[in-house]
Amino acid sequence: MTENTEEGVVVTRNVWKIFGDRAGEAMETVRRDNLSKAEVLEQFGAVVGVKDVSISVEEGEIFCIMGLSGSGKSTLVRHINRLIEPTGGDILINGANVGKLNAEELRAMRADKIGMVFQNMALLPHRTVRDNVAFSLELRNIDAYTRAQVADRVIDLVSLQGYGDRFPNELSGGMQQRVGLARAMAADPDILLMDEPFSALDPLIRRGLQDEFLELSKTMKKTTLFITHDLDEAIRMGSRIAIMKDGEIVQTGTPEDIVTNPADAYVADFVAGISKLKLLYAHTVMEPLEAYEARRGAVKQADAPVAQPDDDLDKLIALSVDQDHPILIKDDGNVVGVVSKDAILHGVQGEA
Amino acid sequence: MTDITPDEFGGAAAAANDETKPFADFADKSGGYFAQTFLAIQKAKLPTSHINWMAVIAGFPWAAIRANKVLFWIGFLIDLVAAVYLMQVWKFSRAAEQAVIDGKDFLVVRYEDWTMSSLWAAVIIFILGRLVFGWLADRIYFRQYNVWRVDHNKPSGWDMKRLVWAAVIVAMIAPLMLYRASQFPPEERTCIKQTRALAEGEEVAFKDQFDCLVIGEFPTIVWLNRRDEVTYPRDDDGNRFVRREAPREGLPPVNLNKYTAQLIDDGIGYLTAFYGFFFDGITTFLRSMLSAITAVFVGTPWIIAMGAILAISYSMAGARITIFVAASLGYLALFGFWQTAMDTMSLVVAASIICVVFGLPLGIWVGKSTRGQAIITPILDIMQTIPSFVYLLPAVAFFSIGKPPGILATVIFAMPPMVRLTALGIRHVPENTKEAALAFGANPRQLLMKVELPQALPSIMAGVNQVVMMALSMVVVAALIGAGGMGFIVTEALANTRTGAGILAGIGIALLAMMIDRVVQRANTMKN
Repeated sequence: MTENTEEGVVVTRNVWKIFGDRAGEAMETVRRDNLSKAEVLEQFGAVVGVKDVSISVEEGEIFCIMGLSGSGKSTLVRHINRLIEPTGGDILINGANVGKLNAEELRAMRADKIGMVFQNMALLPHRTVRDNVAFSLELRNIDAYTRAQVADRVIDLVSLQGYGDRFPNELSGGMQQRVGLARAMAADPDILLMDEPFSALDPLIRRGLQDEFLELSKTMKKTTLFITHDLDEAIRMGSRIAIMKDGEIVQTGTPEDIVTNPADAYVADFVAGISKLKLLYAHTVMEPLEAYEARRGAVKQADAPVAQPDDDLDKLIALSVDQDHPILIKDDGNVVGVVSKDAILHGVQGEA
Repeated sequence: MTDITPDEFGGAAAAANDETKPFADFADKSGGYFAQTFLAIQKAKLPTSHINWMAVIAGFPWAAIRANKVLFWIGFLIDLVAAVYLMQVWKFSRAAEQAVIDGKDFLVVRYEDWTMSSLWAAVIIFILGRLVFGWLADRIYFRQYNVWRVDHNKPSGWDMKRLVWAAVIVAMIAPLMLYRASQFPPEERTCIKQTRALAEGEEVAFKDQFDCLVIGEFPTIVWLNRRDEVTYPRDDDGNRFVRREAPREGLPPVNLNKYTAQLIDDGIGYLTAFYGFFFDGITTFLRSMLSAITAVFVGTPWIIAMGAILAISYSMAGARITIFVAASLGYLALFGFWQTAMDTMSLVVAASIICVVFGLPLGIWVGKSTRGQAIITPILDIMQTIPSFVYLLPAVAFFSIGKPPGILATVIFAMPPMVRLTALGIRHVPENTKEAALAFGANPRQLLMKVELPQALPSIMAGVNQVVMMALSMVVVAALIGAGGMGFIVTEALANTRTGAGILAGIGIALLAMMIDRVVQRANTMKN
């Protein structure tokens, strides 16, 4: 147990998933000869779901897995609670190998340690909101009184007070997904698996739920794997993002990393359409004061607007409009750099 | 042969027109005529009275040359039927002559009547049939054009060589059909005698042999030696034993049907003789279950039973249905069916309980396991295709007559919808809710009890409703083997042609069925 503590709460080591009767054989061949998805399908009649994925999710972080449909992200996340068995590789949760658990231990782990939220909510239509939320507790044979108390507390948490006795079909999509979230959190799990939780919702409601979840997440500190096909959402939610393509992870990094240093053309293509206003900070776009003055002459420090190094582009633009001076970036009262309008414009284009 | 080209269509000159060129290309010969006709069909301007007179005159050979199978068979069938009637004219007029010789006047009259009616039939069928054929010809030929337009490899145009195929088909079918129509078919017994005569080396005229082989009953090919007669008498200690006796010398062999039937009878006899305790056990169980239920339905004074039924219907299905139930109960009571109806209800309830108890787990198995589905589905298919009367036979064979075999036959008849609808409900539980339950650590039992069964419940309840309805209909049929109840009144009325009594009882049964159906269905919809 102890040897893995520095490795993260959820770790996958070289996880492979190939669907088909000859999965094992196919995996060996792909490893050796590096076949493409189409070649595997042709030779073995097998579909590559996940290809040699190793990730490590730190405690309390929101780890986003981003990819288009068919990229294997939902398949990958289902390996973590073994809804899908891997063809090869290991999954560790708090250092314990999930693959080695027997059926009863696995059920206990699913009920106590992992909460899951689904894209299509997957609420039980014949149960009230409260009974849906308390479902995982019921499966662990916890008494009805405790269940109701826990459920009501979680229902409050997701701001559904007073809806406990309603049925899911009486609720809007956004409210249903809150129930889904409440159900995932009812057993107070360490880990949340969120499989495109907000994808089926209207943009406005999605925005609201994203904010609410971020708020909750700050206080609850749950290790979260967040699946999405929307890079904007990944950037808003994730402390780190892994981008998947054809079952492989193409790049892992912080949102800023991904936007400023896309690993390949595929990622670059994605990032191209993303607004950098909230992603780039003064410290990335600024230049040293001397370099600026050498080029453009002295800066009238008294008249120039002032910003902090961790202010984002959005704020810098607000400071920069309607005046001709560059922005001074000050840290603890010392000037650490200058941001010109040109630098801001380059930043908006993603060229830091 | 050429197709007739009416003047108003402008003849072949129109074929050059771009609009109609594909039509003409398709039709080949008489392109102009078909170009105009098909154009009229496309514009929905073809007169209702439009007839292709060429087709009327030429008949099915025209369709053969044009390679239209549908029209060929229609035309051929019309001509064949007319020809068959003509052959009958010949057959009956010859029979009439024979009757004159024999001096049987009543037969002369009858055969002459038949001769005339056959003649008229032949003429009318031929003329009307050809007109219909001509009317259909261009309309159906247009469909062939539509097929050809998509795939130019499909037959089109005009080709005399196709007549060869048509001739082969006609030669294969027509001669035997016409011969059969001109002869009185030999009786089966005559043919059996003929077979024996042949076996003993006697001479039989070729015509008689041919008639027996071709125009009579399908010839018996398989002849089997008779099986031993098997009986199961008791020995001195009262234990049963098997006694076989060889069939008497000189008895003729039997056909496949008789041999197999004997085999089944022997099997059933063996089972009832040596495993009777098993069937007796089932009978005893059914009888005691039924008597408990009957005690409730029949044993309760009518005034209490009626009140209880009305109260239940009101709480389950509301006021409007209850008014209907009250009226139905009134009918049953006023016409003196109360006790009988309650008797029937006891049978229905007993059979339905057994159906649900066995059908539900079976349905769950079928719904969850592909092997279960592979095994049970064909059995259910067979159970539902066999006519309900047939179930009475094994019930009687193993359990003799009375109410218990009636219940068993009813159970077999009414079980399939329970299994099917339960399986359907289980299979239609959304995959995502099952996945969610598993993700939260449900074990297989919890998955079934908390996720699958509750979501399958509407389908299961529909199954129960079906079971009750089918049980009611079968309980009526089971009166034939002494199950009693309302069905007994109907069967008795049937036997004694007491139509009035039968109709009244029939209405009573219908009301009973509607009552149960309305209440159960309403209860289901109100719950959702």
